[in-house]
Amino acid sequence: MIAAEDRLSAEDIIKAEIITKLEIPFFSSYVQAGFPSPAENWLEKVCDLNDLCIDTPEATYFVRVISDSMIGDRIDAGDILVVDSSKVPADGKIVVVWLNGDHAVKRIKYAGKMVVLHSSNPKYLPIYVHPEQDDFKILGVVTNVIFKPM
Amino acid sequence: MVGLVDCNNFYVSCHRSFDPSLEGKPVIVLSNNDGCVVARSNQAKELGITMGKPLFQIEDVIKAHQVKIFSSTYPLYGDMSARVMGILGRFVEEVEIYSIDEAFLNLAGYDRVYPDRVALAQQIRSTVAQWTRIPVSVGIAPTKTLAKVANWYAKRELMHNGVLELTDPSAIQAALEEFAVEELWGVGHRYAGLLKRNGIKTAWQLSQVHDVWIQKHMTVNGLRLAYELRGTPCRQLELEPAKKKSICTAPSFGRLVPDLATIKEALATHVARAAEKLRRQHSTAGVMTVFLHTNRFKDKEKQYYNSRTVELPHPTASTSELLHYAGAALESIYQEGYEFQKVGVILSDFTPENHRQPGLYSGSLDERLVKLSGVMDKLNTRHGRDKVRLAAQGFCPTWQMKQQWLSPCYTTRWKDILVVK
Repeated sequence: MIAAEDRLSAEDIIKAEIITKLEIPFFSSYVQAGFPSPAENWLEKVCDLNDLCIDTPEATYFVRVISDSMIGDRIDAGDILVVDSSKVPADGKIVVVWLNGDHAVKRIKYAGKMVVLHSSNPKYLPIYVHPEQDDFKILGVVTNVIFKPM
Repeated sequence: MVGLVDCNNFYVSCHRSFDPSLEGKPVIVLSNNDGCVVARSNQAKELGITMGKPLFQIEDVIKAHQVKIFSSTYPLYGDMSARVMGILGRFVEEVEIYSIDEAFLNLAGYDRVYPDRVALAQQIRSTVAQWTRIPVSVGIAPTKTLAKVANWYAKRELMHNGVLELTDPSAIQAALEEFAVEELWGVGHRYAGLLKRNGIKTAWQLSQVHDVWIQKHMTVNGLRLAYELRGTPCRQLELEPAKKKSICTAPSFGRLVPDLATIKEALATHVARAAEKLRRQHSTAGVMTVFLHTNRFKDKEKQYYNSRTVELPHPTASTSELLHYAGAALESIYQEGYEFQKVGVILSDFTPENHRQPGLYSGSLDERLVKLSGVMDKLNTRHGRDKVRLAAQGFCPTWQMKQQWLSPCYTTRWKDILVVK
């Protein structure tokens, strides 16, 4: 007999609802009876490339490169850039910008009121931008470059 | 204190986020099937293009002013919405996602962290703008209804710079005196008419009406509204999204369809979509309704509308099982000789999936079917919608929606991501 004060009333029994699932790595080694797996205390989340490449998911965008203008920075046509719009486009950073009707990837330098966009391929000249007169916006800072080696 | 964050011209802003050349230009977004206008940039509003206008009625304006048109691009809107909501969650603990482009924030208890609420709202605005390039407006007030009112002004009157806080009773009164009663949250067509007939034109007048009259004519919901206008919160933040009680999938056909075979194929796809949604919220359906109709706007054509509701032998979320009954229901209502515009399915009478009871005579659901649907969902999430499907859904659909002006899905499809030189 369960003591009266120990009884659970029906309304206290609430059905657990599983809304999200958390994947936990599974160790497939056989466990001998009596000896728990020594790895069990060391369960960790598997390495996730997102942790490495993305700080701010809400502000991160992927962008495909279609020119060789940044080849000196090991950014080539076909590569995918990870661009973070929450990062400050500080002097000397590689950024994705919108300039007079096009998006482009360039290294940004500030010179007084002017902005200078440098390519890293001698074929392309630096571009001088008047942020107040030109149709100019900074989309974000390039944080990673993804490419497949030949 | 409650904040309401609302994205300005959200769908248009999503397109502008990735294509700044649309800035300052008239832009419209069309409903499913490219039927009517569902979103407009301010420049399009200035041209007199109204919400819900069918496309064919504004073709001249579009040509004359080179209005840029987009078909609804929901993958893009959904992802950008999730980003905006995620950013809001970085500022406050409790965010109620009210719609794809609106969220309520619970600001109670933040006086120490954010002593200046307007400054907080401005910071939210600038963060969302920098991270997503989507402009938002913020209304702050003691109740959700008043926060909506504050937001209305914040969005329309430039002097507020996108943020309006209504806390001072005299400021609230001034705002409500200028606020048309039919613009209020929760005042529909019917109540707007009733209030006008009784000489109640502004939100302020409504807030001053006697409780007894309001309850008599507008039920307890009207009373809640009046209390909210007076500054007493009656609508709490809803933080757990309520599970849907029914799911309806019924996009129009891209053209009028007369034959049963094509309609069946479309219905199979709608059922598959509805079942997917059902499984995503871990429910099973006990009742299914299938309906079929012609185009009501073509009044010269012969009209037909019919529906059939089927009580399922046991609650299920299995696509193949639902399809079986959907097909039978469709056959029972199909009539030859009409040009059909739409077939749809409504699933209802939900029970949680882990709560199923076998039917008394029909036996229980085949567990293998349940597993099969789960596997299909996983494969389709990984490899793309409808990669694995039932043959009934067909191979080259001829009935699909018109989406003539689809924009790239910049954030959800690798082939659509932005390109740079």
